[in-house]
Amino acid sequence: MSWTLLRATIHQRRTSLFWFSFGLVLYAWLMTWFWPQMGGDKYAELIESYPPELLQLFGGTEVPMASLGGYFQMEYLGLMWMLIVASALIIYAIKAFAGEIGAGTMEFTLAQPVSRVRLAVTRVIAMVGYVVVLAIASFVPIMIFGPRYDIELSAKTYLLLMSFGGLFMLAIGGIAMLLSSMFRDGGKPGSIAAGILVLFWIADLVANASEAAGFFEPVNLVSYWQPGKIINDGTVAAEAWWIYAAVALVTLVGSVVVFSRRDVA
Amino acid sequence: MDVISTRSLTKFYGKTRGVEDLSMRVPEGAVYGYLGPNGSGKTTTIRCLLGMLKPTSGEAMLFGQPVALDGSAVRARIGYVAGEVRLYDRETGGWHLDYVAGFRGGHGRLEKDLLERFEFDPSKRVRELSKGNKQKLALILGMAHDPDLLILDEPTSGLDPLNQEAVYSVIDERVAEGRTVFLSSHVLSEVERVCERVGIIRLGHLVAEESVKELLGKRLRQVQVTFAQPTAPSFLAGLPGVDNVLAVSETVFTARARGDAVDALLKHLATTRVADLSIQQASLEDVFLEFYRERDASPDAEAEREESR
Repeated sequence: MSWTLLRATIHQRRTSLFWFSFGLVLYAWLMTWFWPQMGGDKYAELIESYPPELLQLFGGTEVPMASLGGYFQMEYLGLMWMLIVASALIIYAIKAFAGEIGAGTMEFTLAQPVSRVRLAVTRVIAMVGYVVVLAIASFVPIMIFGPRYDIELSAKTYLLLMSFGGLFMLAIGGIAMLLSSMFRDGGKPGSIAAGILVLFWIADLVANASEAAGFFEPVNLVSYWQPGKIINDGTVAAEAWWIYAAVALVTLVGSVVVFSRRDVA
Repeated sequence: MDVISTRSLTKFYGKTRGVEDLSMRVPEGAVYGYLGPNGSGKTTTIRCLLGMLKPTSGEAMLFGQPVALDGSAVRARIGYVAGEVRLYDRETGGWHLDYVAGFRGGHGRLEKDLLERFEFDPSKRVRELSKGNKQKLALILGMAHDPDLLILDEPTSGLDPLNQEAVYSVIDERVAEGRTVFLSSHVLSEVERVCERVGIIRLGHLVAEESVKELLGKRLRQVQVTFAQPTAPSFLAGLPGVDNVLAVSETVFTARARGDAVDALLKHLATTRVADLSIQQASLEDVFLEFYRERDASPDAEAEREESR
């Protein structure tokens, strides 16, 4: 790893990291604040007014919607949270390799005495740091503000949310990093990574209502992300850990290998 | 020792040729000019030397070591200034100097001197800099560490004549201290001013390699002769190495003479009465264009063009 490169990478991503984190903190605080007003019986009434097919489509069968876990999954940590963190990580990843090659700044950096493997590993480590900050911004506000609004979760639940959520982010970021290491400008890898996520979401929605997309389930990263279950039961399925860890490991190592062997210009 | 050497270096981008079968050597302490028009393969050669491009076949060596895509040690001895300066737009010149210093174990010993000579203000963001100032920053970043090998790709583009001269004098000083310079350019006067030896690249092939002296020996001269009495154009027209004979008046003629034909021309003029004579050296641009014209007319070149289509 190169400290110079790590400092420069964090320095150059500081603005986007700040705004994504600030947005997550604000969003988490708002959803925590709304819980006593929206949650419980009122929320159950609201949810019950929706057609059951719609609830099923949005994963309503996984956790009871009127529960704290159901509320957070529906209003914050489900689709919206995934959209926010995926955007942050895809933006980071496409700049990490392809964006810099396209902008010509990679040529400037590689003219210095730094090996490609060191450069790529440093960019991966910076992404891990990015993920840690996003995880803190996502869950720590609930921990801080929650007790004021009747939200009491155990330390183990927060630890699970942060570690499993972090692993989810690493898997998504890893896919984007691998794609970024293959192209020479940011447009294509960004579009493909976003396309893969949309495909996951559509398959997840369809799989909730029909078995037509069931074959896709074992590799669908979106299906494994069940924050409502973590909040309600404090559990994560063992295969979910494995699939996220495997995807993150393979894609991140793959991005280093691909970048170290490709033409950079 | 050869600081740069390539053996049958070939790089194709898919079906498009970058360089092909390129073999050259640049010894330590030399100032090597790498001449060719845009798109001839100059930048591809440099990128292969720096390990940014993987050769399709052949080999590139720096300081006797094969160039590796992942090699970094050898780059500590190289200063590179890219043809098209691409830096981090949102960062300042000072940030870039610190960035490079981080990789190279400290600020370069020439940094202060270069900042003063180029009158460069490092506090401005790159996006606020003019093209010339960006070029100055790239030069400072590339040369501040007093590298053993300077690879300069069109180093003076965008610079005013004063700063161009400053660049040339820095290069002269580096060479005087035993450094090696590889200067890629299509500005022949620049190569003439700085280099000792020139490689000419055309359509990805190194078509000629000679000393600047030899190249200048082949240089064309623009001759204007005023005879003491009316003379027939045929007096000059038949001489070998002399062409473009034009009659300005009955006594005044202009012609173009190759460097190796001047002696014969003067001896021929001595057989008659000459009132005035002016011989001006044609620019190296003319030599270069002449060189290209000759090559273009050859059957080999025609076959090459067909092939590249």
